[in-house]
Amino acid sequence: MSQSVNQRSRKTLACTSEATAFQKAFGKELKRRVVDEAEPYAIVQADTPHELFHAMDIPIITNQWWSAYISAKQLSGRYFDAMVKKGFPANSCKYCSLGLACTLADEPETAPWGGLPTPTVLVARLTCDCIQHVFGLWAKELGSEFYPMEAPAWEHKEVDWFAHSKDAWDRVYQPDRIEQMVSEMEDLIALLEERTGRKFDPARLERLMERINEQEGYIWEAARAIGEARPCPVSIAEQMPNTMIPQWHRGSDWAVAHAKKFRDEVFERIEKGLGASRNERLRLMWIGAGVWHDPGFYQALEEKLGAVFVWSMYMPFAGPAYIRDLKGEPMEALASRVASMNEVLHLPPWMNGWMTSEAERCGIDAAVILLPPDNRLSQSGTNLTALSLEEAGVPVLRIDADMVDADNWDHNRMVGMVDSFLHEKGLA
Amino acid sequence: MIAIAGPNLPIDLLAATGRFEGALAFDPDRATPRASGWLESKFAPWARPLLESWAEGAYDDLEHVLFSRADDTSQRLYYYICELQRRGQLGGPQPLILDVCKIPRDTSRRRTVAKLRELADQLGVGASALGEAIARTNENRRSSTDGRDIPVCLLAGTPPPDRRLHAVIEAAGFASAGSTLTQEWLDPGPSVDGDNGDPFAALGEQLHARPRGPRSFADAESVLARSLQTTQASAAILWRIEEDEAQCWHLPAEREALEATGIPALVMTRRDWLANDGAREEIAAFLEGVTR
Repeated sequence: MSQSVNQRSRKTLACTSEATAFQKAFGKELKRRVVDEAEPYAIVQADTPHELFHAMDIPIITNQWWSAYISAKQLSGRYFDAMVKKGFPANSCKYCSLGLACTLADEPETAPWGGLPTPTVLVARLTCDCIQHVFGLWAKELGSEFYPMEAPAWEHKEVDWFAHSKDAWDRVYQPDRIEQMVSEMEDLIALLEERTGRKFDPARLERLMERINEQEGYIWEAARAIGEARPCPVSIAEQMPNTMIPQWHRGSDWAVAHAKKFRDEVFERIEKGLGASRNERLRLMWIGAGVWHDPGFYQALEEKLGAVFVWSMYMPFAGPAYIRDLKGEPMEALASRVASMNEVLHLPPWMNGWMTSEAERCGIDAAVILLPPDNRLSQSGTNLTALSLEEAGVPVLRIDADMVDADNWDHNRMVGMVDSFLHEKGLA
Repeated sequence: MIAIAGPNLPIDLLAATGRFEGALAFDPDRATPRASGWLESKFAPWARPLLESWAEGAYDDLEHVLFSRADDTSQRLYYYICELQRRGQLGGPQPLILDVCKIPRDTSRRRTVAKLRELADQLGVGASALGEAIARTNENRRSSTDGRDIPVCLLAGTPPPDRRLHAVIEAAGFASAGSTLTQEWLDPGPSVDGDNGDPFAALGEQLHARPRGPRSFADAESVLARSLQTTQASAAILWRIEEDEAQCWHLPAEREALEATGIPALVMTRRDWLANDGAREEIAAFLEGVTR
């Protein structure tokens, strides 16, 4: 087994520690509601309409967040081993199945929160062949119900979708796909109302959507400023929590206020000429999910080579993926957001079209792409994106590693690979 | 002419076009230098030789190739090919995709039917032509059951690229049951309701409900048990390849289903699709020990 030193990342923004403190407190609050108070709650994938749950005040546990939580506690290897012992293949998709593995392991003494109680429902969009089986098994194991949502085929292809997603979403995301998602969301609302006794209020959703636009607008302003600023004021290790933590709570008063605070702090650092690194010489792009178990990876080469990861998808995605002119149709606007959240990050032409444009916008010198060996969905689109980036003059390093499997991640080896790659390309 | 590259597709409708050429043919063992640069490692292994052949112009005589959203590799390959064509790195036929929805819910059923109608429009197939094709295909469905007078071994799990594993089973003195990849793609599925006044609805509903395939919501262990029963198998091999990321989740339940039947069974997981990993020898050794 490889060794991971699990280095901590260096934080420079006040709002970063505020965000992590909020999330820690939220974790306790969520546990209180879900475990101690036994409130109805849902387990959901990241690319499902969280907004419906927020509007109905139903707590949700996001599979990806829960996986990261387990992974951060260094428990992923233990639970995957337990799953294999129960007869499941060892090459299963790890990013989606860690929560299931934790449930199957049935170890209240080691599991976060002692393990999850039975949810009202589990919700996932069927963006790959694997997820319906994972969520179906998980629902069965927890004694709950799985509510799958289609990921319809997308025949209307706009390479520069990100330039039109705000005001022409009804065209960009294909009207019949939006209609399908709205129908499924209506069925989901009916199920939630029946099971929880809570009522869905369309006006509340509309207000929430407006607040999300405001929140993501701040993040997008900051992302644009980071793209233009030299040096980069904030490393991706700080961009991620300041984007993602408010995004888990999107539209809430705290989330909107925090996004504004983060933007202001980014602006302030740019105005003062402060950089994430003291000697930024190379601007790097990180393509893939965050390596949650080794956040220090991203800053490891700042001092030595001046190589700064200035871009990861989470922060710039806030603009094109979230902001929508509501046009008096909040359900349809929400459907357009949800119906393509995964596709634009993993399928050509959307993925490579956007990332190539982002590399140009942010003055990227080189890109590092994560290729999880056992996860088709996370791998998807990376080769064509790498080719697009290389055609645009951006050298690309592809790393075979899993973002939640700490056992297969060796900090020193991974940093060494990036180091060698930058030297080979004559960039360092 | 039109061909297919994926499972759970409307064979009746394609037959009605009069231009159906079957499944795309390719050599599974061929080298794939270009395709391997475009596709990532977890694509089902049939995608690389197919794409390599496409890049060589092997399918240039076709007008359309139809992909299926009921299979992840098939639907993902559709997007890759569209993009490679857009970038001028690939020529050949126009890729189409049928948005087959498998969730057992009315919204998914309706969408499958609607998308089937759109495809029929695109291919110029009207209701009467489809109705006639359904009647003919139903007749073929009824006549395709065959009797066997030697013991049967069911090869279940991932469809192999050709009959290389079936041949091992037959060499051991068993009749082989279980589809190859091409047979899986060309499987028209269960009978379509020929009395339905709307043949598009009848065929769309059949596509939506078909129990086989990676996106089916049917109980995998029940599907396996039914296959064992209908083939009257006296031995079974459950063979899954490394890239199988869907049905492999049902492996524990499928093992239980096999054990419950008491039929001698060999379970092989994470295997090489080309069977260059000793699979042939393992199957032969297993069947050698099975009483006929």
